[in-house]
Amino acid sequence: MTAPAIAQPATARRKEGFTPFETFVFTLVVALLAIAIVGPLFAPGSVYNSDIANSLMPPSAANWFGTDDQGRDVFWRLIVGAQTTLLSAFLVVTLYSLIGVTIATVAAAGPRWLDEGLMRLTDIGLALPGMIVALGFAAAMGASLRSAVIAMAITGWPITARMLRGIMRQTMEQPFVAGAQVLGVSKWRLMTKHVLPNSLDVLIVKWAGDIGTTVLVLASLSFIGVGAQPPSAEWGATIAAARGYVSTAWWTVVAPGAAVAITSIAFGLLGDIIQVRRDPSLRGN
Amino acid sequence: MLAFRAYSWFLGRRLGLTLLTLWGLASLVFLMIKLMPGDEAQMAAGADASAAQIEAVRERLGLDAPVIMQYLSFLGRLLRGDLGTSIVTLQPVLADLEKVLPSTLELVFIAMLLNLAVAIPAGIVAAYRQGGIFDTTSRITAVMLGGMPAFWLALVLQYVLGSVWRVVPISGQQGYGMNSPVVSGAPTLDALMAGNFAGFFDALHHIVLPAAVLAALFATQIFRTLRAALLGVLRSDFIMAVRAKGATARHMLVRHALPNSLNPVLTLSGTQAGAMIGSAVLVETVFARQGIGAYMFNAVAQKDAFAVLGSVMFIGTVVCLVNLIVDILQLLVDPRIRAAQLGSQSQ
Repeated sequence: MTAPAIAQPATARRKEGFTPFETFVFTLVVALLAIAIVGPLFAPGSVYNSDIANSLMPPSAANWFGTDDQGRDVFWRLIVGAQTTLLSAFLVVTLYSLIGVTIATVAAAGPRWLDEGLMRLTDIGLALPGMIVALGFAAAMGASLRSAVIAMAITGWPITARMLRGIMRQTMEQPFVAGAQVLGVSKWRLMTKHVLPNSLDVLIVKWAGDIGTTVLVLASLSFIGVGAQPPSAEWGATIAAARGYVSTAWWTVVAPGAAVAITSIAFGLLGDIIQVRRDPSLRGN
Repeated sequence: MLAFRAYSWFLGRRLGLTLLTLWGLASLVFLMIKLMPGDEAQMAAGADASAAQIEAVRERLGLDAPVIMQYLSFLGRLLRGDLGTSIVTLQPVLADLEKVLPSTLELVFIAMLLNLAVAIPAGIVAAYRQGGIFDTTSRITAVMLGGMPAFWLALVLQYVLGSVWRVVPISGQQGYGMNSPVVSGAPTLDALMAGNFAGFFDALHHIVLPAAVLAALFATQIFRTLRAALLGVLRSDFIMAVRAKGATARHMLVRHALPNSLNPVLTLSGTQAGAMIGSAVLVETVFARQGIGAYMFNAVAQKDAFAVLGSVMFIGTVVCLVNLIVDILQLLVDPRIRAAQLGSQSQ
């Protein structure tokens, strides 16, 4: 007689591997990154030189997405713009994450008055409309892509700081932290080598989604006129420049907007997928 | 007595936070002014001011004093309502902004109505039929809308609905000859007050697309939040009890599940009301509407630095005050928030 097979638990563990949808999103994100990194190398000639004789031509075999008012190829400007846009977004998120991590660490480790002060500062940051304050900073520093990136970096950190400080406080309650303390580890080493690495995974989840929203805000700032300036191929600036041609040459506006939308949706979905994978109880929500 | 003390404690704390935020905002704006490249007096006086005019501005703004004195006098001017002077309109920025604020508030109000009117029913149906066709399509729509740049959506819809299909006016706030005497500054309200119903519907016709674009940005958040909250509530035991009792689906949803899921939606729509005022800058200008967003957009285009920074100060202040009002309203409306905010202090 063979032993009865051990019953599978009613809720079988999720199979390892990716669903088709997840594979699709990953592929999309990797493709976007690849386009941004190597795409501009293949651009035929300059995407900044105008060729007025060829202006506002509809999509064709020679110009896949048509040409803009300067006769420049819309498709290749998008590819070059992908690099500008994604690189700036990565820079913004990295910079404000660094600021947020620093503030959270100092608040979690520091004396009570410092914690209180930094958290009130965070409250102020959270209560203000981020895009408007960023707009002010970018306009004050002189409208340029560089100003917009700096402006978004100095206004983007509060959510990160607030979240991370809370998690670090929780981590500090863990027995291994007490253990390290007993062993006489210095406060600085305790925070940077023990508490911070064990609190960071939430930030990594947030990171992908943040890229998506940052691409949107960056394009908005450029559209308003405080970000990238013509003839930059950055997507928001491209839309702003093509604004007047919607009715005569829709492709000049539709293409860069679709690029912003696809990128921000792809990174947003990536964030959602990572989050659900870490916490499967969220599935279906 | 206890309740009174709890209320005043809450109000005091909340007011304190608002004042702190406004002070923080003012300091940021001062920092922005100091970050401006070039001579501040020159910027404030305009590009074609004479040397004497620039000196007069320098004198008036006290720019020869130490920075700390400049900061204090800047705060003093803000308290007196002086946000600087526009070099384009040559008017105080505050006066310019007050003129166009009602128009923005009108847009935000109608956008908020559309936002809730679409997102709440959609969220209910999606959660009730989780995994169904409606749920799937509306979730995909929400993800897509959430990723689209608002100004781009505005441009595309303006072209399709305004130029191609001609169902809505392309731009502006009122048709020719439809304007009523300006009382409030908000075209729909002015038309109503003048008893001009044709003008009222005309103004509504002009505002519906801009408001819908603004609402689309925010409706996706309300939809997601309500759907998630409802899914949680629908799984709970008391819903099973209501169902076992034999209540109809409608009764169960509207009387039991919904009231217990609306809390996060209320909180979110409160913050959204403030955020919408900021996002108006992306929408108003596409539709050639008046408003603080369009004013700011034009100020950027004309390199009118003090008008831009004055607008930042103004919009930030309006957002803070709207958030304060929403928090107080919420406290009055929702007994659970009242308990959560006041309870800890009244024990």
